[in-house]
Amino acid sequence: MSAHNQHTVQSLYEGDQSKLYSGILQHHSDVNSTESKTQVKKIWKVFWVLLVITIAEVIMGMFFSHQMPKALVAFFFLALTLLKAGYIIAVFMHLGDEVQNFIITMAIPITLFIWFIIAFLADGSFWLFMNTTSPVR
Amino acid sequence: MAQATATSITESKAWGGGRSPFNVSYGKMMMWFFLMSDAFTFGALLISYGTTRFFSAVWPDANQVFKSFPFMGETNLPLLFVSLMTFILIMSSVTMVLAVHAGHYGDRKNVIKWMLWTIIGGIGFLSCQAWEWTHLHSEGGWWGSFTDPSTPVSAFAHFFNHHKESVMAALPAHGMQATHDFFNYFFTITGFHGGHVFSGVVFNILVLVNTVNGVYQRRGHYEMVEKIGLYWHFVDLVWVFVFTCFYLL
Repeated sequence: MSAHNQHTVQSLYEGDQSKLYSGILQHHSDVNSTESKTQVKKIWKVFWVLLVITIAEVIMGMFFSHQMPKALVAFFFLALTLLKAGYIIAVFMHLGDEVQNFIITMAIPITLFIWFIIAFLADGSFWLFMNTTSPVR
Repeated sequence: MAQATATSITESKAWGGGRSPFNVSYGKMMMWFFLMSDAFTFGALLISYGTTRFFSAVWPDANQVFKSFPFMGETNLPLLFVSLMTFILIMSSVTMVLAVHAGHYGDRKNVIKWMLWTIIGGIGFLSCQAWEWTHLHSEGGWWGSFTDPSTPVSAFAHFFNHHKESVMAALPAHGMQATHDFFNYFFTITGFHGGHVFSGVVFNILVLVNTVNGVYQRRGHYEMVEKIGLYWHFVDLVWVFVFTCFYLL
């Protein structure tokens, strides 16, 4: 029994790895501690940020997006979308709490999207230019 | 000399083996890698949607397609229903992260409470989506709809911004193809996302059952809640992009 409870790093590495990294060795136990309460407060703060951004987007989409230049509208929505995505990944998915190596490993492949978006949308609008007899979009 | 080198290596932050250099368990890291591959799948679908949209001379207007609300009949309420869906999903993401937080502290009672709310939110979102699909289907939209060349313009004109003369002028030539493409992409992408929400709800229920049965308490940690939480947040994350691409832009 006592051997079972000995959380030596080596035994954990050979057994249930999750215990090594799940905070069990750091003795998180008091839900009512200040540390715990600060984290919960942060979660709710991010919720309000996401809600306000979404409401701003919807108001913009309902009333203003038809009167503004298309490029400006696209920039506005994409910037807010990326901001929301950043909050969800960093705080809700706790990526902000991981080690930097891991963050970089996740971030680098995603940058491929920058090229995908530029290449494919440019291709789409080139096809429109080639095909259309009407200048309207 | 050799001894000095050995000491400096031990003192540096270089990885010495025996531990994950990323400080995460195998299961959690593989969940991240899976989510990254899933992000590329969703990205491919959304970029293909964007390409087709750039390719098209006209495109349905979100404020015209998505303007209905249950039990409100013909009242013009653009984007309101989808805002409700978005709110439900963000809310369920918050309850999920609170369940993960409770899990970090081994607080079984609160894990159960927040998992339950997350499952309710997921079912709520799926119900909303079912209503929206049914509604659009009743308006003629489905996979492979709007292909008959004899379809009158009036059958799809109400999906477009009819305040703009240039759009109306292009409808007879390009409107039907654009409507066809729009609905194909809409049902494929929201369907693929809805499939993720559905499987997420199923996994959440399994994790809840395990929590209630004390499986994670006996195991000594709630990492499974964390892993399913990552999946659930990813589903919310994808919705943020689907929402922008289909309803806002």
